[in-house]
Amino acid sequence: MAIGLTHYLVLGAILFSLGLYTVLTRRNAISVLMGVELILNSANINYVAFSHFSSGNVDGQIYAIFVIMLAAAEAAVGLAIVLAIFQLFHTIDVGAVETLKE
Amino acid sequence: MTDHVLTYMTFFPLAGMVVVLLLPRERHDLVRWASALFTLPPLLLAVWLYRNFDPVNPGLQFVEKAAWIPAYNINYFVAVDGISISMVLLTALLTFLCIFASWGIDKGVKGYFALFLLLDTGMMGVFVALDFFLFYIFWEVMLLPMYFLIGIWGGPRREYAAIKFFLYTLFGSVLMLLAILALYFSSEPHTFDMTQLIAQSSRYGTTPLHFWPFDHLRWGFQHVVWMALFIGFAIKIPAFPFHTWLPDAHVEAPTAISVILAGILLKMGAYGILRINYPMLPEATADLAYYFLGALGTWNIIYGALCAMAQKDFKKLVAYSSVSHMGYVMLGMASFTPQGISGAVLQMFNHGTITGMLFLLVGVIYDRAHHRDIDGFGGLAAVMPVYTGVSVLAFFASMGLPGLSGFISEVLVLLGAWQKYPLLSALGASGVILTAGYLLWTIQRVYLGATNEKYKAMPEINGRELFTLVPLGIIVIILGVYPNALLDLLRASLDQLNQLVIPHLS
Amino acid sequence: METNLAPLLPSAEVVLTALSVLLLDLFIRKDEKGLLVWISLIGLALAGGMALFLWGSHEGAFQDSILLDDFALFFTELFLGAAAITILSSVHYVRETNIHEGEFYALVLLSTFGMILMAAANDLILFFLGLETMSIGVYILTGMWRERSQASEAAMKYFLIGAFATGFLLYGIALIYGAAGSTHLGRIASALGQTKSHGSIILSAGVFLLFVGLAFKVAAVPFHFWVPDVYDGAPTPVSAFMAVAVKAAAFAGWARIFLYQLSPLQSEWTLPLKALAILTMTVGNLLAISQSSVKRMLAYSSIAHAGYLLIALVAGGESGGQALLFYLLSYAAMTFGAFGVLIALKEGENDHEAYSDFAGLGFKRPFLGMAMSLFMLSLAGFPPLAGFTGKFYLFRSAVVAGHIDLAIIGALNSLLSVVYYLRVIVMMYMEEGGAEGKPFARAPYLYLAIAIAVLGTVYLGVLPAPALDLSRISFISLH
Repeated sequence: MAIGLTHYLVLGAILFSLGLYTVLTRRNAISVLMGVELILNSANINYVAFSHFSSGNVDGQIYAIFVIMLAAAEAAVGLAIVLAIFQLFHTIDVGAVETLKE
Repeated sequence: MTDHVLTYMTFFPLAGMVVVLLLPRERHDLVRWASALFTLPPLLLAVWLYRNFDPVNPGLQFVEKAAWIPAYNINYFVAVDGISISMVLLTALLTFLCIFASWGIDKGVKGYFALFLLLDTGMMGVFVALDFFLFYIFWEVMLLPMYFLIGIWGGPRREYAAIKFFLYTLFGSVLMLLAILALYFSSEPHTFDMTQLIAQSSRYGTTPLHFWPFDHLRWGFQHVVWMALFIGFAIKIPAFPFHTWLPDAHVEAPTAISVILAGILLKMGAYGILRINYPMLPEATADLAYYFLGALGTWNIIYGALCAMAQKDFKKLVAYSSVSHMGYVMLGMASFTPQGISGAVLQMFNHGTITGMLFLLVGVIYDRAHHRDIDGFGGLAAVMPVYTGVSVLAFFASMGLPGLSGFISEVLVLLGAWQKYPLLSALGASGVILTAGYLLWTIQRVYLGATNEKYKAMPEINGRELFTLVPLGIIVIILGVYPNALLDLLRASLDQLNQLVIPHLS
Repeated sequence: METNLAPLLPSAEVVLTALSVLLLDLFIRKDEKGLLVWISLIGLALAGGMALFLWGSHEGAFQDSILLDDFALFFTELFLGAAAITILSSVHYVRETNIHEGEFYALVLLSTFGMILMAAANDLILFFLGLETMSIGVYILTGMWRERSQASEAAMKYFLIGAFATGFLLYGIALIYGAAGSTHLGRIASALGQTKSHGSIILSAGVFLLFVGLAFKVAAVPFHFWVPDVYDGAPTPVSAFMAVAVKAAAFAGWARIFLYQLSPLQSEWTLPLKALAILTMTVGNLLAISQSSVKRMLAYSSIAHAGYLLIALVAGGESGGQALLFYLLSYAAMTFGAFGVLIALKEGENDHEAYSDFAGLGFKRPFLGMAMSLFMLSLAGFPPLAGFTGKFYLFRSAVVAGHIDLAIIGALNSLLSVVYYLRVIVMMYMEEGGAEGKPFARAPYLYLAIAIAVLGTVYLGVLPAPALDLSRISFISLH
């Protein structure tokens, strides 16, 4: 069986779902961040796959590079914020950081 | 100058507000005199307007029109006709006098007078605006200063009273806004211009209701719009069951604000119905006036009088007497006879002057005794003869004693109503007896009988207080003897208004 | 290949200013940092001047992936103004809280650059890049008050939710790219005309994800839960910046993508969008009533206002677009003003954000009291203030498009909102005790910002005609 567009799309969808699951269930800020990265990478797979199989141009692959760069920037900011949280609260449990109340 | 007389009358107080805001905060007297100075020109212009108003012309006079938001056909459009002229005169007069009635305010003087002047602009604007959008804006502009004036300078339960007033009125405003949009979108081309909306008033259809026992009634889009507008205006009148804000607001408001509230704001409800519901939705008016103006008005007369009878608080008594007296306005409007409708408009003016006097009189003794308990006085006639004299004049006028203005308007209303609804007219006439009952009883308790020891040395009414009362008293007497001084101005426009509705009466 | 750089002029000027501020920040002493404010403001003014100069032109750059039309310029001016007001109102705030001034201003400018890109982008990927540039800047701004735990907490929450929404958006764009073969809005639109059968489901999924991602950014219910905590924890000028500019940028994108290029899909998203609008207004208003902190109340009120703005998106067409743009202007003026007064109440460590802190303010600081009353009344929709005119045109556009129910629900909602806006006024004028508020001499820039907001609120309410025309011209330049 030849590996085609559908396989890549399914892989992307699985990664997306895994990322979603991670974000929704994990309480550790770093894990949530990793879930977000999974979602971004699932989108990357889609871009590259679509670019290769259907659109007939390399735009999608360029976008994937954009997104990787962006993910790096986001991770840098995210980790800095998590670090600040750790310094103030001595924990990175999302649920435990709760000073803002109704 | 004369081309823009209405604009000057409307915006002079606003200019006054700016000036007052710029004055130093400590100079209380300066602020008071400046406010008086800026309400005087509208009064003088009102006199000029009275003399130059053409009573034969039923149409709009002193028209000013300028584009404001041209993309939506919104104009700055002001004018007066017979429906509004009396209200414009009343507004100019009462605001000027109320500045003097507010002389005793000593907390936040600057803010009080600034808001008062803003209120003045809003009120005048409502009565002269002939663009629906402009009308709505003035209507809302008026609401806010009123809220603050009650809420900051009022009595002990001022916050409650202010919020209640505000929410009731705002609820009405939202309904009105929706009705305005409905009228705007159903007109072709879309317009807010009242004269054009009136010219297109025949554009709505109606369908008979197939719903026993109402199958003799018609229903349609215009009835819905009519009801939305009516509720908005009924809250202001205030008609039963929307009246409950009134006693609270009156009791808590400072004297001058009570006068404005009773004298001018209440009239806006009735004015709005005459200005908007009648000509723009004549068919719905013909269908609904009997129930919502005639019957409800009669109920207002009796209910208000009975409530007034049960009051111990002097100010609440006057407040409920307003509910009762505004009932005559509604009944007269619903009759669609020349006497009834001009009686209603005359009653609006007379109620403004008479109730204004009553509130000022209550204010006089409240300032001295710091309570308003009717049973807490007694025998004031011996202590304050002048005050008692003026009071008795106001009470008799309110009662409808022949020779005073209240008599004329009530008789006109009842005569007009008799031709259409004899039963309602008879019930309304019984209200006159109830009114006489509670007013005479009050006179007896407050002014006659043995003098209360505590108030043996109560000072007599002073010059400033007399200055606010005497002009109103003179008007009450003049209109009682020669009502045509005002009626002549109203007749042409009101007859024309009647003719718009009468063809639709079934 | 010849590249037309004119469309980039205003945004390039903003970036240039940001970089100069960052660089200069390294070399000047702490007591000279006031210079940075002036550089930022001058940079913004220059960019504004350029945008004004370019007004009326209609050109594209980089294969039309970025467009210079009146719509983009309208939003450019809005964002530049928002950035200027944010900077003016944060001058004193950042000094009191030991936030690094240079970085703060530079980040505001960089976020502004991202927003301009969002409004001008004619390509989903470029829109996405703009959105991320904006978002990353605002994440950092939210957490810049390092000493305060609430700020870091808010930053973390905002970041995680924001990144999550980004993922949705990106995945959605990927699917649209797959279905249409391009991310260029024009080419997507032409592909829509000849949708292949296999494409339609992918396209719908993509549009749905894009929709959800944007709903997060404009804080529509049920994607709103982060807003109160984030606005509450962030430094107040940043909350204002988020409430106004970030929201406006998301709406700009929404308008360009959905109201114009993807408008053939209108019938598919009208119903969900309508539900979203009703939910957002109602939930926002209901939750705002029960707040005891004015800052949180403003956060919920900003949710409710997003709901009103969604009405315009449902209505669509010329009247909807015009109402949207005009309301964003009005909303910017009154929201900046309200947050500005909140900043003026802050004294040292004490934020003074509760309702009770407003007690007696009307008499202690008459200007602040009067200004706050105006903003509250305008937010509640009283004529003749900006909020009323804005809402009037929003509801009007709903009626024009045949959504009378939406107009009625909107009107009832604004009635509901009066309850909590009025509480502030009641506090200021009818109660006593409470915070003192900064006198003018201690915060002249802030007072300037508030005064500008007052002028805007009154002007847009009393003389709306020029701004309405501007909004209409800007919106129709999309076509």
